[in-house]
This record gives sequence, structure tokens and C-alpha cells, in this order.
Amino acid sequence: MPIQLTSQAYCKMVLHAAKYPHCAVNGLLVAEKTKEKKKDSHGEPVLCVDCVPLFHGTLALAPMLEVALTLIDTWCKENSYVIAGYYQANERTKDSRPNQFAEKVAARISENFSEAAIVMLDNSRLTMSCFEPIVLIYDHHENKWKSREVTFDCFEDWSEAQKITSALLEGRSYENLIDFDNHLDDLRNDWTNPVINKSVLDLC
Amino acid sequence: MASVSEMYDVGWEEMRDKLRKWREDNCRNGEQIVDVGEELINEHASKLGDDIWIIYEQVMIAALDCSRDDLALTCLQELRKQFPDSHRVKRLSGMRLEALERYDEANKHYDAILQDDPTNTAARKRKISILKAQGKGAEAIRELNEYLEQFVGDQEAWHELSELYINEHDYGKAAFCLEELMMTNPHNHLYCEQYAEVKYTQGGLENLELSRKYFAQALRLNNRNMRALFGLYMSASHIAASPKVSAKVKKDNMKYAAWAATQINRAYKMAGRGTKENKCSMKTVEEMLESMQITMS
Repeated sequence: MPIQLTSQAYCKMVLHAAKYPHCAVNGLLVAEKTKEKKKDSHGEPVLCVDCVPLFHGTLALAPMLEVALTLIDTWCKENSYVIAGYYQANERTKDSRPNQFAEKVAARISENFSEAAIVMLDNSRLTMSCFEPIVLIYDHHENKWKSREVTFDCFEDWSEAQKITSALLEGRSYENLIDFDNHLDDLRNDWTNPVINKSVLDLC
Repeated sequence: MASVSEMYDVGWEEMRDKLRKWREDNCRNGEQIVDVGEELINEHASKLGDDIWIIYEQVMIAALDCSRDDLALTCLQELRKQFPDSHRVKRLSGMRLEALERYDEANKHYDAILQDDPTNTAARKRKISILKAQGKGAEAIRELNEYLEQFVGDQEAWHELSELYINEHDYGKAAFCLEELMMTNPHNHLYCEQYAEVKYTQGGLENLELSRKYFAQALRLNNRNMRALFGLYMSASHIAASPKVSAKVKKDNMKYAAWAATQINRAYKMAGRGTKENKCSMKTVEEMLESMQITMS
């Protein structure tokens, strides 16, 4: 079942990568929890309405990741969301394949959400104007993660996403993006990013 | 576009001091350094005295980070004029080539420095950075190990090596590097806490117990380290939940976990004072800790 990204989810991922150009970054994608499972819901896309930026720098350590997953899971339950995917931007520009760590996290997410996807950011195509989507989406098929062709259908509204992301990059909004690492440095930093969410809404 | 001094209402001295603070803290905030530094160089160069040379170096490196080759070249040319035979400046030339991904030429620069001065640590470290940039993780690790055999006291290098090992998922060797750092910096709570994280990631009961001890030690050194507090909670909870431990160990660890949970809730309460949104965050944490107690017991 394919995932779809809203403008808010897409632009926060890109802002996270832009804030730490010299580091790897990662985060979680959340979708709204659907109440009933329709019998023919196989073709319907899962809409990822938001993302939570997690860490930057050294990604592959377990304890804080566990804390983040548990805390965000609790938050999701309170807001009728579910963790539906994982995103990562690698440290090196030319490297956009999901690594062992990404697959592990995605496997963990799959335990709660069978159609979890991995979204990798293609650093080499990250520009201010965001002409084209820079994500690669991987689904789990027969024990392997396979990449899927990214079209404008992967977005709720690509032209809106493009416009908003480009505007926020130009305005250097990424300086105010909060990830879970920032939150651990100072608990007052809010990883739900209400300020950025409002900016996105204002630009819609 | 408004200048930095106009936007923030600061004078050139404050800008210079800010640059110095960023140098001392080794911050990698390229865009800010370029904004402040470029204005300082263009408008106030004459007032900076001898400070200008180190500022040129700092701004040049920041400019490379921001793809501002024009600015980088300007700074580099000033430095070359002033210090024509300097190895330090030659290294900066090499870094510029690295930024332009001309790695073979950069390597030639560094090899030339090393021919002249085999003990030049900066050039050796740049060569290792090139291997890292090219994705040759295993080679970078090998070279860095060789480097550390000669320069055992280089803390930056030990830390870099620990990160390289973590990226290769070789947690045992990463722990070894952090042990070296803890030995030479026993009061540094960050090394303690990172070591604990690596041990936790390695897994297994022994490593979990070790990780709990080092999270506790990090907290002793800095009682506001939230990662250490969360880490203590997680490791103690996992130990208490393990079927392999004795009743006493289980009871002790449940006590530690309960203590940590209280401290975590208290920290969130203090942070949430006054803001409505953070109150919801506090509630989320309380619920999370409660739900974990249920799954752990």
C-alpha cells in the first residue's frame, strides 16, 4: 500500500536535512489512524500527515531511539495517529541508499504498522527551489526493501508542497526546526514544531 | 538585504567576539559565520589588527561549507599573500580542493606537506577525511588507527574513530575509543553518557548493567543531562524485566527506574512551567513511563 506525503510532512523532512547539511538526519512519519479497515483498502494510499524529526549526527545508537519511539508512540495514540514510516538523509551527498540501521528501525515500525515505508532523501538533488521531489520511497516486498517510482501521486498536492518547501528554505526556517536531539538538549524545545506547522498553514 | 549589524544592532567588536566564541566552541554553523565574518572583513578589516588572519581562516572554512567559493578564494588569497610558505595555509588550499571534490589534487597537497614535515597531524587528518568523504569507511578506520598509534593523545581523533566504528556497527571497538577518552577526561559527562549508549546498543545483560552504571556516572557529573537520565531509566527497566536476574537485582533496578522516572517527570514539569503546549508533553511523558512500567513488569 503506497504512502502519500502532505506538504507539512515533506517540507519538515527537507528542512531537517537542510538544518544539518554536514550530518545524517532521521525521523518518523506519522499517519492518521483509520477507524475501519475497508475490505478493498489495498489500493488506497496511506496519507502521512506529519513527520517528527529525530536525530542528527550519530544515528545508530539504541537508547535514545527507544525513548523517542515510545514517547512518540504515546503522543500518536493521544492524537489518533500511527507511526507509518521512517525517513533518513545520509551524511554523504552521493549516498542515498537505506542502510542496515534504517532497515532495522523500519522493521520495528512494521511490527505495529504492516505497510511501513522507508523514505530516503536524495541529498544530491536538494536545492532551494525544489523543482522536483527529492525523496526515494522503499516498500517491503518479500523480505527486501525495494524502491518505488516516485511520481506526483506520492504527494497530496505536489505544487503546494514545492511552493511551501521552497519558501521556507529561502526564509531559513530550518534554523527554528526542532528535532528530538534538540529536545533532549533542552526540554522546552518542542519536537512537534508548532511554529513551523503554523508557517506551513499560513502558506497553504 | 539588511546587514548583520543592522539586524541585530551590534557593533564590530561584538561581531568579532561572537566569531571568537564560535571558534572556541568549535561550532559548525557555516551560514552564520559567513554572514557575520563577511561583513566584518568587508567593513571593518582595518580595526581587527592581527585577529584578521584567524578570522580569514575561520570564514574561509565556513564559506566552503556554504559553497561560497568566491568568498573562500578571497580569504585564501589574503592568507597566501601574508603567509606564503605556510603549511597551515597549504592545508586550507587542500580543503578548498576537497570542497570542489578534486580529491586527487587535494591529496597531492597534503602529501607535499607531509614530505616536508612528516609530523604534520593536520595533513594526515585531512587525508583520512577524504577517505571518509569518498565512503571508504574501512580504509579511513585503518588509517586513523595507524595515526593514533603515533599520536595517542589526540582526543579529536579518538572521538572521530569512535564515530566511524559506530557507523560500521562495530560497537565493541567504539566502546574502546570512548574508554580512552573517559580515562583522559574523567569529568566529561558527555563521554560517559556516549559510552553508556554504546554499551546499551551492544546489548546483553552485562552490557546493560555497565551502561546503567555509566549513565548514573554521567548524571553524577551533570545532573541535568537528560540523555543520561532517560538512559538510566531505560537500562534499569530492561534489567529489571530480564528473566535472568535475581530477585534482589530486579528489586534494586526497579528502584533505580522508579527514581529516574520521578526525576524525568520533575524535569518535564519544570520545563513546562507557563506554556500550555508543554503541559501536554509532560502528560505524554507520564503516560509513556506508566505504560513502560506495565510492559516491563
